[in-house]
Amino acid sequence: MEINEKKTGQCVIIGITGRLDTTNYSILEKKLMELIESHHDKILVECSNMDYVSSSGLRILLMALKKITMVKGKFVLCGLQENIREIFEISGFTNIFEIYSTQDEALKVF
Amino acid sequence: MVRYIHYTDPNSVEMVRELEQVPRCPGICFFMDVNKSTDMKYEGGLKDWGRKLNNTFNNLLYANHFQHHIVKGIGDEMMLFIPDDTLQKKPANNTCFALLEDIYAGLYLIKNHPDQDLFLNCKVAIHYCTEVYNITFFEGADDYYGSDIDLTARLMGKSIESRIVLSERFYLQVINDLENLGLPSDSGCLSRVSERFFDNFKGVPVSIAYRVIDVQ
Repeated sequence: MEINEKKTGQCVIIGITGRLDTTNYSILEKKLMELIESHHDKILVECSNMDYVSSSGLRILLMALKKITMVKGKFVLCGLQENIREIFEISGFTNIFEIYSTQDEALKVF
Repeated sequence: MVRYIHYTDPNSVEMVRELEQVPRCPGICFFMDVNKSTDMKYEGGLKDWGRKLNNTFNNLLYANHFQHHIVKGIGDEMMLFIPDDTLQKKPANNTCFALLEDIYAGLYLIKNHPDQDLFLNCKVAIHYCTEVYNITFFEGADDYYGSDIDLTARLMGKSIESRIVLSERFYLQVINDLENLGLPSDSGCLSRVSERFFDNFKGVPVSIAYRVIDVQ
């Protein structure tokens, strides 16, 4: 998995490429927790190049959502591939995350 | 590959010979049980119970790619078995550590889900089995027998809602994985692992060591 980071205005965009699973979820966890602890409360996770997520990966996304919600920030996802969307639906995540089809669409909500 | 054992003669010499030659099939056995679901079935009715059971099992199995490893399910309890050679070939969850991490994450997602009306909390027991045989006495069925399967079922008696009970033997496999990966022994959910407990279980002649991880 590769993670890249860029800023657009107040929003930090985290791009995930490849598989998010038990072998690497801690890298994403570290990155997101660093951002949250340094008071970045507007985060967009770009998932269009993420081709697998295990429950360990889902756990980190839920943790980040809970932390950002506590400080009244915004944590948004975009570009889910079809197989990932299916896992999100089964996990009840589509009802608790704001999810957009494209990055442009997602950026409008910040 | 499961071996179907079927002889019509109860004194069959061939049957005894075949049983003597059945190879062991080492691997990981775990049981998952939905907590208090039987009470719920009678209190809340079939519709609510069935909906939550569907959601819970889908979530645990599908998000972890465990659906191909169910040996049997009895109502709200499932037995899963992953032979060593299968585990090593998996693209994800291909070590005991990875498997434990995803089981922990599955229970975490349910316990911490903002909508508590969707899922039911679960409990798990997991053991690394060496005394186990992939045999069945029912045509077309897949099953695993052996004293280590029995022990895994006994360990379930020590589990409660949102808890993973792991035998010491499985724990040592996880520690071995961490050493191979160059990671510290308190990585991931192992930062929450308990001290070692000992207990005697029905039908098991020696005291068994185990640990627990409570999902936070």
